[in-house]
Amino acid sequence: MTQMTMVKALNSGLNNAMEKDDSIILLGEDVGTDGGVFRVTDGLLAKYGKERVMDTPLAELGIVGFGIGMSMAGLKSIPEIQFQDFIYTAMDQIINQMAKLRYRTNGDYTLPMVLRTPYGGGVHGGPYHSQSGEVYFTHTQGLTVVTPSNPYDAKGLLLSSIELNDPVIFLEPKRLYYAGKMEVPDDYYKVDLRKASVIREGDDLTILTYGPAVPLVKSTVEKNNVNAQIIDLRTLSPFDLDTIMAGVKKTGKVLIVHEAPKMFGVGAELSATISERAIDYLAAPILRVTGLDIPIPFALEEYYVPNERRIMAAIEKLLKY
Amino acid sequence: MIEETDISKEGLLTAYKNIVMERLFDKKMLNASRQGFLPFYIPLMGHEAIHIGLGMAIREEDFFYPYYRDFGVLLQMGIPMDTILSQVFATATDNEIGRDMPDHFSLKKYNIGAVITPVAGHLTSATGIAYAKKYRKQNGSVITTFGDGATSTPDFHVAMNFAGVYNLPMVFFVENNQFAISVPTYPTEDKAFNQTYEETKGAIYKKAEAYGFNGVRIDGTNFIEVYRETRKALENAESGPLLIEAMTYRMGPHSTADDPNKYRTTTVVEGGEKDPVTVSQKILKDMAILTDKDIDDINKDMEETTSQLIDKYEKAPKPDKSTMMGNLYEQEPWYISEERGDIQ
Ligand SMILES: Cc1ncc(C[n+]2csc(CCOP(=O)(O)OP(=O)(O)O)c2C)c(N)n1
Ligand SMILES: [Mg+2]
Repeated sequence: MTQMTMVKALNSGLNNAMEKDDSIILLGEDVGTDGGVFRVTDGLLAKYGKERVMDTPLAELGIVGFGIGMSMAGLKSIPEIQFQDFIYTAMDQIINQMAKLRYRTNGDYTLPMVLRTPYGGGVHGGPYHSQSGEVYFTHTQGLTVVTPSNPYDAKGLLLSSIELNDPVIFLEPKRLYYAGKMEVPDDYYKVDLRKASVIREGDDLTILTYGPAVPLVKSTVEKNNVNAQIIDLRTLSPFDLDTIMAGVKKTGKVLIVHEAPKMFGVGAELSATISERAIDYLAAPILRVTGLDIPIPFALEEYYVPNERRIMAAIEKLLKY
Repeated sequence: MIEETDISKEGLLTAYKNIVMERLFDKKMLNASRQGFLPFYIPLMGHEAIHIGLGMAIREEDFFYPYYRDFGVLLQMGIPMDTILSQVFATATDNEIGRDMPDHFSLKKYNIGAVITPVAGHLTSATGIAYAKKYRKQNGSVITTFGDGATSTPDFHVAMNFAGVYNLPMVFFVENNQFAISVPTYPTEDKAFNQTYEETKGAIYKKAEAYGFNGVRIDGTNFIEVYRETRKALENAESGPLLIEAMTYRMGPHSTADDPNKYRTTTVVEGGEKDPVTVSQKILKDMAILTDKDIDDINKDMEETTSQLIDKYEKAPKPDKSTMMGNLYEQEPWYISEERGDIQ
């Protein structure tokens, strides 16, 4: 066990996996000599060499496409896109090749690969270093979309993703990269990709959240002594229906909190799924506290993302209902 | 000029038979599509010499990542007819169980990639496959084919740049049929139509130079030249990539949904001097390998073979609807299991 930040935990996970399996190749912009702009791949070039830790030309389409080819040919590629905001020239590869390869070939080809990318706000990066684009991936059939909320989960979920025989979009909340340390095993371990985590028990309402919003939800609930159950989804697609439904049926009130904008978001899908299955259990409307439905502005980022005031207003509304 | 080659007389005759077979399949499939047996089809006319030459050149240790107009390459490579035709007719026995359009083969066990519809969508994948070969120190090279129109895409340029930077064992092979649907590759002289713009101003084969390797232009109607240049390229690729631009002409429509009379004067017609079938006959006659009688006999023979096959596959059973939901993920998510119940 070592006290690690999320960055250190991810780095440790990559190192454990690469040590074990020489088919793993990392690639991306500045991941080699520089160790990644957030330092997630720091030290790995020196240890594993340029055949396995590859600085690439500046072309997201190429990074993803090249990784797909490696994984089609029996390697396990782990491409990094420097910021999720720059992934869009690779979307054709992600949607049309990566996500569909197993299905359209009926499993003739499978794609074990993990596409890592930092997302969300927290570094005052304005419209192009702060986006929360998870729904572009969750609405694509065939992808597994994972997002950790703490260093322990980050490493364990990453190692599970690497072992999966299907493509994973691994979204790293950059606001949590250096947000705090926790005890993380130095050795190899896994966290179940198909299980949400109940991070706090409570009776009055259930809060569904994930990734960058989790620590905020937790601190808000604790500070204000709310008797809320908090569920961290960990994997957005396919999400853990059983854990969610058990929570909803227990408390009968649901709040969904995410940093991405509201319209057509993850919250909408969760809300619809819950309504379809458990309308009789609900004592109040399902509420959402999310990022605003505008691009993320540079100077006023803290008003764009959910904050304690907005979360508490929604909680109070639900409790009074 | 009489061609010289290391291929035996028998090998050349087999190649010629496959050229004829491809042509006949093509006509019959167009027919099948008119009669409603095939909802969609991609004609091959004009590509036969390229396809058969490629099939001769590709070695067992090579990896081939084709595009959607490469049916004939598989014939010459010796892929079982059942595998090919059950894919084209999307039958129950297709290894993709009818999930993708005709000619979208996926044949991993033959070292063949999964054909993808988005133009050039496979070029960066092919490049990654070449890297895997190099990393694992495996013998052989990767060859990927695509159209002239594909050279306008970002994928082409990115893949070429990656292949140059990592010095990959790779052959980029352009089947230049002079059109991307209706848009000419290069400026044309066709006065009958108002062709306003073209795909590119610069010669395609020269584009390799900017990425640090060589490009060559070859005659795509001469199957012996295609074979020779491609085989050489595959052998040499182990020390770095090459771009080949093979020149031919798309004699038919782009697809069964297209009418070329709207946008061009068709200049190469069946039996004409530049028809690859005619060119092949001339080459082999000049080499004293083929006689007029052989030509007739082969035609009759192939006519019968292809008719019987098409007959069989156009009537073959389609996949059952219960197969539709499988193999999206290795571990099926709950909502997929639920949606199985929605199929009615
Ligand atoms: C990215 C993309 N854009 C458009 C299309 C529609 N489309 C299919 S084939 C084609 C023309 C391709 O021409 P070329 O690359 O020369 O190949 P050819 O069909 O002539 O063999 C177009 C525009 C597509 N499949 N993919
Ligand atoms: Mg073309």
